[in-house]
Amino acid sequence: MSSTTVERGPRGSAHLSIAGRRRVRGVAGLLIGVGGLLLVWTLLSEFVFGEFLLPPPLEIGQIMWEIVRSGAFIEHFVPTILRLGYGFALALLIGFPVGYLMGTSRWWRAFFHDMVMVAGSIPGITYAVMALVILGISIFGPVISVGLVAMPYVAINVAEGLDSVDRRLVQMSDAFRRQRSSVVRHVLIPSVAPFAFAGVRLSFALAWKVEQLTEVFGGSSGVGFQIRREFEDFSIPGMLAWVLLFIVFMILLERFVLARLERYLFRWRLEDKA
Amino acid sequence: MSRAIAAPSTSEGPLAVLARFLRSDGFARLASYLFLVVLWQLVSLYEDRFPGPAETFGFLWIEVTGGAHGGVVRGQFLEPFAATLPRFALGIAISMALGVVTGVVIGGSRLAEALLKDTLLVLVALPAIIWAFLTQMWLGLGDDAVVITTFLSAFPFVAVNVVQGIQAIPRDLRRMSGAFHVPLYRRLRHMQIPAVTGYLFAGFRFAVIIGWNAVLLAEWFSASEGVGWRSRYWYDANRYKGFVGWVILFIAFIVLLDRLVLVRLQRRAFRWRDAQLSATERQAEEIDVGITGA
Repeated sequence: MSSTTVERGPRGSAHLSIAGRRRVRGVAGLLIGVGGLLLVWTLLSEFVFGEFLLPPPLEIGQIMWEIVRSGAFIEHFVPTILRLGYGFALALLIGFPVGYLMGTSRWWRAFFHDMVMVAGSIPGITYAVMALVILGISIFGPVISVGLVAMPYVAINVAEGLDSVDRRLVQMSDAFRRQRSSVVRHVLIPSVAPFAFAGVRLSFALAWKVEQLTEVFGGSSGVGFQIRREFEDFSIPGMLAWVLLFIVFMILLERFVLARLERYLFRWRLEDKA
Repeated sequence: MSRAIAAPSTSEGPLAVLARFLRSDGFARLASYLFLVVLWQLVSLYEDRFPGPAETFGFLWIEVTGGAHGGVVRGQFLEPFAATLPRFALGIAISMALGVVTGVVIGGSRLAEALLKDTLLVLVALPAIIWAFLTQMWLGLGDDAVVITTFLSAFPFVAVNVVQGIQAIPRDLRRMSGAFHVPLYRRLRHMQIPAVTGYLFAGFRFAVIIGWNAVLLAEWFSASEGVGWRSRYWYDANRYKGFVGWVILFIAFIVLLDRLVLVRLQRRAFRWRDAQLSATERQAEEIDVGITGA
């Protein structure tokens, strides 16, 4: 790391580059932030709620470590993450055609308008209990819930992406008599894909919450199911440990994997602006 | 465009009028509702535990008019809403007050931002179900658990929006008002309040949508009256048409509130900013409930 951020200054002394300094400041901010969180939590646990109602961070940390060490972490995270992945695959599979129709035809736009608008404000509990009633206890519940929650965001972003397609490219393809399929493949899909991905990213926070809820109601494995079990055991520390592990994991996934992927997919756009 | 439909020229035959009707936006919407009803019917045929539209609306009619459900149990419609709405309103009111204070503190001070921003992000990421479980373990059954779940789930979203609003004030404006010694009152009146209002409305809208989910969940687990409790009551009694009926009622409630009141308020509050957005961009903005959580 030092080789990339430390540059030789004009007098030969080592200076941190601007990017390096910014990175140091970012890490410091994160440390202060996490420290602040732990401080607030410890104070609340010590003076306001008491150790029984809100166990101190150290205790939760030990339980979290125990969960990771015993292998329960892998055992329940893998199914949860897989379902999330299948759900988003489903959302893309349906969202692409729906967004394509919405972006290209006025009639279909009016057709899907209300559904897309309403989908965002449907309470998550609806998906969870409906999935339980219709599908029983099965892995399809979380997958379909995630798909339904994320689909409108994908569709609306695909439609927005089609709005932004460079018309001159399409006209040029027409002028040179390119086939429809090759226009779709080389012009439309590359410019729309990042928007579809942005839809996934926007709905990410909402989707995994709904997935948790679905697992709480009708799961037989996964993090949500574990949370429900701890609740039924009346174990506040156990529940908090699972939740925090999951949140930390999700924030890392969001920040490092999804944000990078998005920057990668949108890189043509950044160059455009520069 | 609607004028064109309203006054068809006399030379057109009935077929042309029909074709134009089939191609109109109004028919597209109608078709989408028909499509949903057919889909619902098909699902109920596939899984017979799941009630079809006719059954569900028949049940809802009894429930809304307060008729008898084939026994001593009578329909209830206003009572559950009367129990839920005060809790909901109180929860939202507390989350607005606390959210604005937190947002102003975090947005206004570097130190507070470094200390509290991550706590806020974790709070945004916590699913409402966790608060529903925790408050039930902390406080037992009753109103307190429901109100506190609502406010704990909703307030981080208000705070995040207020922070965004404060940080969206252009730095040049802030510096200039400092350089020209603009008095605090005028700075508030002409710079800070207009900049934050739109974001505050957006925060209010998220708080209402997220709070509604939270209040239902909390009532599902720890109440003995209210909308969430009523749907659970039918669910536990294995009367799924009752459950589905109530799902329709609580979705209708939030959708009508959102579409008829909140979206309009938000559009009005942001009109200085969004004037140039296209219809699609605006639509994308209006369904973004998850965006501030990300």
